This record gives sequence, C-alpha cells and structure tokens, in this order.
Amino acid sequence: MQLWALIVDSFRESLDRKIFWVMAVISILIAATMCCIGFEPGKIVLFFGMWEFDTDLFTTMVNGQAVIRTDRIATLAVHYIMDLTIGWGGVALAIIATAGFFPAFIERGSIDVVLSKPMARWRVFLGKYIGSMVFVFVQACLFVLLTFVVIGIRWGCWIPGYLLTVPLVLLLFSYLYCVSVWVAVYFRSTVAAVLLTLGAWFVFSGVQTTASLFDTYPSWQDNRTAYVAFRTAKWVLPKTHDITYLAAKWSGAGTSDELLPEPDVPDDDMETINRAAEVEREYMKVNPLLTIGSSLLFEAVVIMLAMWRFSRTDY
Amino acid sequence: MEGITEMTNWAVDLIDVRKTYSKRIEALRGVNVQVKRGEIFGLLGPNGAGKTTLVKIMMTIVRPTHVLGTILGRPIGHRGKLARIGYLPESHRFPPYLTGAQLLDYYAALARVPRATRRKNVDRLLDRVWLAQWGGTRIDKYSKGMLQRLGIAQALMNDPELLVLDEPTDGLDPVGRRDVRELLLELRDKGTTIFLNSHLLSELEMVCDRVAILVDGLVARQGTLSELTEHTVEYRIKVHGDLLPVVDKLKALEAELDGTIISLAGHDAAKVNAVIDVLRGANVLIEAIEPHRFSLEDILVEVVGGGARVAHPVGTQDAG
Repeated sequence: MQLWALIVDSFRESLDRKIFWVMAVISILIAATMCCIGFEPGKIVLFFGMWEFDTDLFTTMVNGQAVIRTDRIATLAVHYIMDLTIGWGGVALAIIATAGFFPAFIERGSIDVVLSKPMARWRVFLGKYIGSMVFVFVQACLFVLLTFVVIGIRWGCWIPGYLLTVPLVLLLFSYLYCVSVWVAVYFRSTVAAVLLTLGAWFVFSGVQTTASLFDTYPSWQDNRTAYVAFRTAKWVLPKTHDITYLAAKWSGAGTSDELLPEPDVPDDDMETINRAAEVEREYMKVNPLLTIGSSLLFEAVVIMLAMWRFSRTDY
Repeated sequence: MEGITEMTNWAVDLIDVRKTYSKRIEALRGVNVQVKRGEIFGLLGPNGAGKTTLVKIMMTIVRPTHVLGTILGRPIGHRGKLARIGYLPESHRFPPYLTGAQLLDYYAALARVPRATRRKNVDRLLDRVWLAQWGGTRIDKYSKGMLQRLGIAQALMNDPELLVLDEPTDGLDPVGRRDVRELLLELRDKGTTIFLNSHLLSELEMVCDRVAILVDGLVARQGTLSELTEHTVEYRIKVHGDLLPVVDKLKALEAELDGTIISLAGHDAAKVNAVIDVLRGANVLIEAIEPHRFSLEDILVEVVGGGARVAHPVGTQDAG
C-alpha cells in the first residue's frame, strides 16, 4: 500500500510535467511520419504514392517472388528509429525531466511529512526511485507500441521481438537515473543531477566506444595498460551500447551499416569498415545476462550509496 | 518494563534529549519533556531554541545524538506507534500537482490507513476543515490558509492518538485561528493528545493545558499556565492624585509605584486593603483595582531575558 502510494504519486508528478506530454506528442508525430512511408517490393513509397523511389535494399526473392526483407525493416526500426529517438533523445529528455523529482522530494517541508510516516527510509527511497521510472515506462510503451503497430500494418512486418525494447529502454534509463538520484541525494540540486548524469552517460558511452575500437584496431592492443584499463572499465560501468545490440538481436535486425550505401573509399579503409561491422556483429551476440547483470550491479552499488546517504541524513 | 511504560499517563516522555550538529553546534542540551495523555501541550521559545529540532526528533526526521524515553509507550521511531501519530510541519510544501482529496489519500496511505477508511476520512475531514468544495481542485490553486487547513486535515487522516503540530495557525486569519482552536479543543475532549509548537503565545494561552519553555536547547520552565504564572500574580491599583505624602507608608506595605499605578505582589487581600486605607486617608482618588497575572509572553521574556538566541556551541557555558 505504501509503495504503491509512492508509485502513484510519482506517476501523477510525471503527468504534471509538460515535457511528458511533449514527448508523447513527439512519439505520435514519429509514428505518423512512419505511416507516410511505405515499403513495397523493389521500392519505397512516400505519402501514399505521391513519391516513389526504386530500391532493392528492402527486397529479397523467395520462391521467385519479391518480398520485403523483415531483417532490414527491423534494422531500420531498431538502429535508426528506436535508437536515435527514444534510445538517445528520449532518454536524454527523460533524464532532464526526472532530474528534479528527488531534489523536490527531499526538500525541506516536503520530506518531513513523508518521513514522519511509519515507513523505513530505505522503502521510501525505493518507492520513489521505482515510481520515478514510471515516466520512462509510459513513454517507452507509447513509442514502441505505436511504432510496432505502424511497422506491422503499414510496413507489413510484425516483429514481436521489437516489443522487448520497452524493458530495454527502461534498463538504459535506470543505468543513468541511479546516477541522477545519487547526485540529487548528495547535492540536492536538479542542475547538478542533469549535468553530472549526462556527463556520466558520455563517460559510459565513451568507454564502450573506446573498448570496441581496441577490437576494431588490433594494433591498439599493444598498449596493454590502456587495453586492460578500458576493458575493465567497460565491464564495471553500465553498458549502454549493449541495449541497442540486444534490441537488434531480439528483433532480428542486422548491423547498422547494412542500410548505408557502400562508401567509395580505398581498400584499407574498406577493410577497417568491414572489421567494424564484424565487431558490431560479434557484440550483437552479447550474453544478455552478463551485460545486464554487470550493469545492474553498478546500478545497485550506486543506489545503495544513495540510499545509505538518504537514510542517514537529518532533514 | 515495557508493560509499565504502556500503562503510564505520559503520551510523550522524553528524557535527556540531545542533538549536536556537525560535532559543533548543540541544538538540544538535555531536554526533558513530559506530555500527559489527553492534554494539549505547548512548546514555546525564542528562535533557535531547538523547538523544531525537538519536534523533528520525535517524528524521526532528525536523528538524536542521545535520547531516552518513549512516545505513546514505545521508543521513538517505533513503526507501529508512528502510525498513530499525526504531524504537520512548519513551512510544509505539499506536491502542487495533487488535488486536496488526492493529497489526503496519499499521506494516509503512507500512514497505513486502509482504503475504505481513507475514503471515508477524506470526505469527513475536508468538510471538517471547510474545504469540502475544494477537494477536487489542485492544491496549487489553494491560498495559504487553505493549505494550512488541508495540512491539519492530513494530520488527522489516521485518527491519531497524538497530534504534533508545528505552527498550526500559520497563515490563518483570526476566524480561521479560532476555528482551529475549537477543533483542537474538540479533539482533546475526545482524548487526543496534542503537542503544539507555536510562536503565537496568545493562541497557546487559550488552548494549552501545560507548556514548556525552551531556551538555548534546554527546558527553562515547564508546567501548567497557573504554575508558571503563580509567582507573577499582583494587584494593580490605578489612582489619581498626589501620592507624595504617602510614599513612605506605601513602601512600608511593599507596594511599588509607577506613575499612577501602584503594584502589590502576591494575592494578599489584607495588604491590598491596607493600601486602600492609606490612599483613602490621603484623599487619593482610586480609579481601578484589578488583579494581574503575567501573560505567557511576559514569562517568556522574563525567562529569555537578554540571553543568546542561537543554538549553543559545544563546550560553552549555559546562557543565563
């Protein structure tokens, strides 16, 4: 009852934020835009036939018949729609929108009444933490469901695995939100929470990108110290890129470069590009338990630190 | 021992409450406060005396450096007993996105009040604090007085045995303050113990059964209003005329002169009559005779005197 009350309160707080409705409208607009795109064997159709572009990018022959390539549609959906919009833009907006939840919650005059209730402080903390994620859960559900239906009806491809991007986006957000909450509890500042969380995301992403470059350029591994440091850091810190890889894997998508035209570059550079694509394919085979488990371990440690601070502070 | 404590008359029995911030500032230096069940108890003192700190320690918002004693027969922070306490803090900030009814329901849920009881209490208490028409309105549309009344309603949602109110009439107009006083007296008559922290001494005088005066982290005085003001009783005689011829006689009777006012400490009627005889013998016109007792404000000013009004640094001597 008490936890549920905190979650419902957080949901109401989410609905009160203008950015919640802005994001909802953006999701609808993206879905509407996707509706204006159609895929037919051998071509892409825009605005219900107003323009047509011939391409075999999304077409394959099966038993002499041209059919739409589901894996290419999934690649488009995961790498270019889900990843770029809700995966990056949506999560960034959610970080900004929810950064003020905890500072407002622990503000003097606000936290007093809550702490006077018969509820252990760690439960208060967890209730508010989980409740704050309702914001992202609702947005993720809205976006994914709308685009899932559009992809199914308009593009002719039903991709059940695509629905699993909802918990994946929630996971991605939680990796970052734990940092936001930790900053909020220690510094009680919304601005600090936003800046440090986005900074942390940059670090997590940078570490993963650099670690993958060590695989793309094997000669870099000669610097053993840097190699070991980045590999270790990659496993200790949350693996934000793996969210996209898992989404691609479960949706049956290919690598992100499959939809790009082959660049006109020298053979050496082409070799590098191919190796990068190969590395991405290997990363898409990531063990979900391992990547999610290790990332959640980081999140658990950060949450425990924030919870400890919250429990020990005089308000 | 626990069984005996449960059976005592003390709703609040705090012994040697100490709180030191950052190992330097002693906000409370050994406070002893006892509140009987079913009474209205007032806590007063100058700014920085430690009143809000004491209240927050009672409500587990602040952790004490040291405390003995009980609240409702249980150690401070006992979850079961916290569910039986209603609290309204000073300068509260309620979530602006909630309606009045949602706010009451939310805090009651946190207090483990069952859903059916919450539904009933929301309507009843909104009506009781004259906000029945406003239950469905977001509280960011409420005035300060409405928020204060809503806050009191929030504190009552769990039908508390002990009600702790920090500046409950803050923001209320005189009519609102009177209504709150009546509500508090009504609750007391039903057996609720009420612990009030207020700067409005006149309000405390009108409702409190007993008070404690906190100064520099220590209880300077504690007791009923009669007990605190007993030593301040005096008679005041207002006169018109020349008192010079009878000054010596009046001083012999231990009367104090202040312009046209003659003060006689204590309530000895014989002494008053002796003074009256002296005045009438000198044809001095007596305009009024009235008994006078110090107000709570007078007591507070007397206790505080010119002493320090901030929390006491560790290691310094008692002020006053």
